[in-house]
Amino acid sequence: MFERIMSMFSTVAAEEHGSVLLVFIIGVLFGAIIQYTRADKFEKIAGFAMLKDTVVPKMLFLAIGLASIGLYFLIESGYAHYHVKPVMLGGLVLGGIIFGIAMAIMGKCPGTGPISIAEGRIDVMVGAIGGILGGLVFTVYYDQFKLIMGPSFGKMTLTTLFVGHETLSVLIFGIGLVIISIMIPLREEFDEADLEQLN
Amino acid sequence: MIRRIPWWLGGVLMALLLMFSFSYAGAGRPIGASTYVPYFAGIIFDLDPEKYTYLKEIHNAGSWEGVMLLGALVGGFFTAIFVTKSFRLSVVPTAWKKYKNDSVLSRLIWSFVSGFFLIIGARLAGGCTSGHFLSGMSQTAISGMIFGGVVLTTLLVTGRLFYKKEARNV
Repeated sequence: MFERIMSMFSTVAAEEHGSVLLVFIIGVLFGAIIQYTRADKFEKIAGFAMLKDTVVPKMLFLAIGLASIGLYFLIESGYAHYHVKPVMLGGLVLGGIIFGIAMAIMGKCPGTGPISIAEGRIDVMVGAIGGILGGLVFTVYYDQFKLIMGPSFGKMTLTTLFVGHETLSVLIFGIGLVIISIMIPLREEFDEADLEQLN
Repeated sequence: MIRRIPWWLGGVLMALLLMFSFSYAGAGRPIGASTYVPYFAGIIFDLDPEKYTYLKEIHNAGSWEGVMLLGALVGGFFTAIFVTKSFRLSVVPTAWKKYKNDSVLSRLIWSFVSGFFLIIGARLAGGCTSGHFLSGMSQTAISGMIFGGVVLTTLLVTGRLFYKKEARNV
C-alpha cells in the first residue's frame, strides 16, 4: 500500500498538471473556502433539498457564472483550454438521479464530505466507508456499468452549439447565472453549535 | 457571530480558484472530487491496476485528485480549528434531528447507504458537484448542464419526500 501511495505522488510529479505542492495547495484552498463558507454542513445541502437553506445554490451559481466568463476569456487569450466531458446520456441521467437522492440524504457531496470529516463528523466518516465500497463495486463491475452509460453524443458546449456567437452565448450564460444567484432568496438553517455562537 | 464568510465571497473565491486551476499558471486542468474515491478503493483493497480497466483509466486523474483531497482535508481541518472554530466530534446533524429522527443508528445506516450510492451515481455520471457542476458548467459543457438539471430535480424531490415538513423540537 505504501508503494502505491508513493506512486500517487510520483504520478502527479511526472504529469504536466502542476507540482505536487501546487496541487496540494489547490486542495488546501478548496477545503478552506468550503469550510469558511460552512457549505460542508449537513444543514446546507440537506437544508437546500428541503428548501430551508439556499447558501449552496447561491454560492454555486455565482461561482459558475463568474468562472464561465473568466475562463472563456482566459482561453481566448491562450492561458488555458477546455477539458469538456462528453454527453454520455444514460450515465448522466441515471447517475444524476442516484447522485441527487444520495446527496439529499447524506447532506454531502464527494467534495464537501472529506471537509466535514476534517471538522469532526463521525456520520460522514461512516458514509465515506460506504463511498469507498461504492468505488470498489464500480471498479470491479465497470464492464457491466459501462453498458448503461451510453449513448455518447460527444463533447458539446455552448460555444460549439452557437458557432459564430461564442462570446455572446457565454456572456448570456454567465450573467444569467450571476443574476439567478442574486435573485434566489437567502434562507439559512443552522446547527446547534452555530446557533450557540449566534445567540 | 458565526465565524464565516458570506456566500458571495465564497462564490467569488471559488471562481478564482477554479480559473487558477484551469490556467497554465496553475494546474492546466479542472477541479474534480469523486475520481479519487475508486482510486483510493483500489489502493485500500490492493486491486491490480493491470486487471481492472477502470483503475487504469483513472490512474492519472485519481492521483491528481488524491493529492488535492489530502490538501482539502488539511485546509478544512486547520480552518475548522483556527478560523471557524467549529471542530467538534458529532454523529447526528442538528437538522437530521429536527426533520428526521433522533436515532444514531438510523443516521449511520442512511449515511453509509447514501455514501455508497453517492459514489456509484457520481462514477456512472462521470463526475460530481465539482467535476460536472463547478468545472463542467463553467466550461458551458452540455454534460454538466444535464447532470446539474437531473441532480437539482432529484435532490429537491428527495428533500420533500424523505424529510418531515415541520421541525420537531430538539
